[in-house]
Amino acid sequence: MGQLVVNGLALGSIYALVALGLLLIFNTVQIVNFAQGQLLMLGAFIGISCAVTHELPVAMAWAITMVAMALVGIVFMVLVYFPLRGRPAFLVILTTIAMGIVLENLALIVWGPLPVSLPSPVRGPPVHFAGVVVSMHQIFIFATLAVILLLQFFFLTKTRFGILMQATAQDLHTARLVGIPVNRTIAVAFAFGTVLSGIAGLLVAPIFLAEPTMGGSLGLKGFVVSVIGGFGNLPGAVIGGLFLGLIETFGARYISSNFRDAYAFIVMIAVLVAWPRGLFGEKSSEKV
Amino acid sequence: MQGSKWLFRTHVHDGQLAELIPEYLVKTLGKTKPGIMAVADDYGLGASKGIQAALAKLKVSPAAVASYAPSDKDMSAQLLEIKDKGADSLILFGRPADVTLVIKQMNDLGIKLTTIGNSSIVAQTTLNNLSAAEADGGYAIGGMIPQTSTDAKIMDWSKRVQDKYKVPADNFTVSYYDTVYLLKSIIEKVGCDKAAIRDALAAAKDWKGMLISYQADGQGDLAHTLGIYRNKGKTPELTGPIKESGY
Repeated sequence: MGQLVVNGLALGSIYALVALGLLLIFNTVQIVNFAQGQLLMLGAFIGISCAVTHELPVAMAWAITMVAMALVGIVFMVLVYFPLRGRPAFLVILTTIAMGIVLENLALIVWGPLPVSLPSPVRGPPVHFAGVVVSMHQIFIFATLAVILLLQFFFLTKTRFGILMQATAQDLHTARLVGIPVNRTIAVAFAFGTVLSGIAGLLVAPIFLAEPTMGGSLGLKGFVVSVIGGFGNLPGAVIGGLFLGLIETFGARYISSNFRDAYAFIVMIAVLVAWPRGLFGEKSSEKV
Repeated sequence: MQGSKWLFRTHVHDGQLAELIPEYLVKTLGKTKPGIMAVADDYGLGASKGIQAALAKLKVSPAAVASYAPSDKDMSAQLLEIKDKGADSLILFGRPADVTLVIKQMNDLGIKLTTIGNSSIVAQTTLNNLSAAEADGGYAIGGMIPQTSTDAKIMDWSKRVQDKYKVPADNFTVSYYDTVYLLKSIIEKVGCDKAAIRDALAAAKDWKGMLISYQADGQGDLAHTLGIYRNKGKTPELTGPIKESGY
């Protein structure tokens, strides 16, 4: 039982990270980026190119990946968001889906179809506690999620730029009228949201391996988690992620492992029936 | 398509593995409470059914039967179920990517079970992503793989495959390569007439491929030699080839 809880929470932490990246962009520009999973995959492969192909230290591979992903986020914004700004939301959403397919195929060409493992930045024997085995990498996943949550909270509520981002999210046009550098704010949201996906990729690759098609399922789970938590609500996304990780793990153990992927959608439908705005829904959920 | 006189198979089939894996596990390795874990698609679930039937013939009941979706990444729940139900071994049937994850997660969870399965356990793609400690001791039964060969020609061929296609050569690569040259030799002999090619394939006898000899039977199967492998660290070792009786 304890082991299932640990494994479920570790899996849920990954979902939560994907959802956080998704929501950071959504909260700023009201666009659901369905390529978030493929950006995760890209982060994993950039890390692998650095740490495995070029044999750089894993910490350096992480640093390079984060910088690269920030740039990818900005390029993504320029290519996908800016040309379609002001157009119907479904056009932008369709374009993000198309970009996801493009990224997946590019990865296939560049890195090939075979799964590759990335070394974990932390090493050491697993911790044994009351019959439960917790790997160092799982502890690192929990710590990373906690640090990112704290940093994000601090950034959005205590820094001037974070407050500007929140203002832009609430009303883009008014924000522009009062002199907030809206484009720069949006660029930071895209960069940060993409970096979060990259970090999720770097955390996933040591345990689940990286392959070009890995992003589809993880990206979709990130979306489901966001809906469960209440679209737009960051703490809700984290709780939703952890909740889904536990549901999947316990469902696979005690109900059937055949329907593991289905649990996410069953839970999402059940939550939406009971709470149409999600568990911690905010007004922005109406715009989905 | 089975029974069609136009269909030929140049790789050992899963039905053979489903019989041989349980037999080797029970009779040679002495394990009597295996857990079964297979990928939940027509390939894995078909094999799982065959393995359960073969175990029943050996009067052995599996401790647990589990599966995972082809897209699954976390198999820890299934592994914990198999461990909790007291399995003394694991029969694992999947593709290299998911077999790698199962073996990694077994190691992470501290589950130590004798593991036997299809050739994915000794596939180079699997071994590339496992540490020596994780890979060590895994058994596989499947088509003959090139990694264990000490023949300079085969080693050179494997290297050229890797260099050209960026994918390690495995039992399937050997099979596809042999098939092309088998067809080439037949076409050179009988020409391009479809019926003549079919008849020549059906009459193939002791055609020497890279690692095995091909010989057609009444079912259109040409490959009848399998290998039993065991990983020593990250290096698969050939414990012995199995030849189907009658050949």
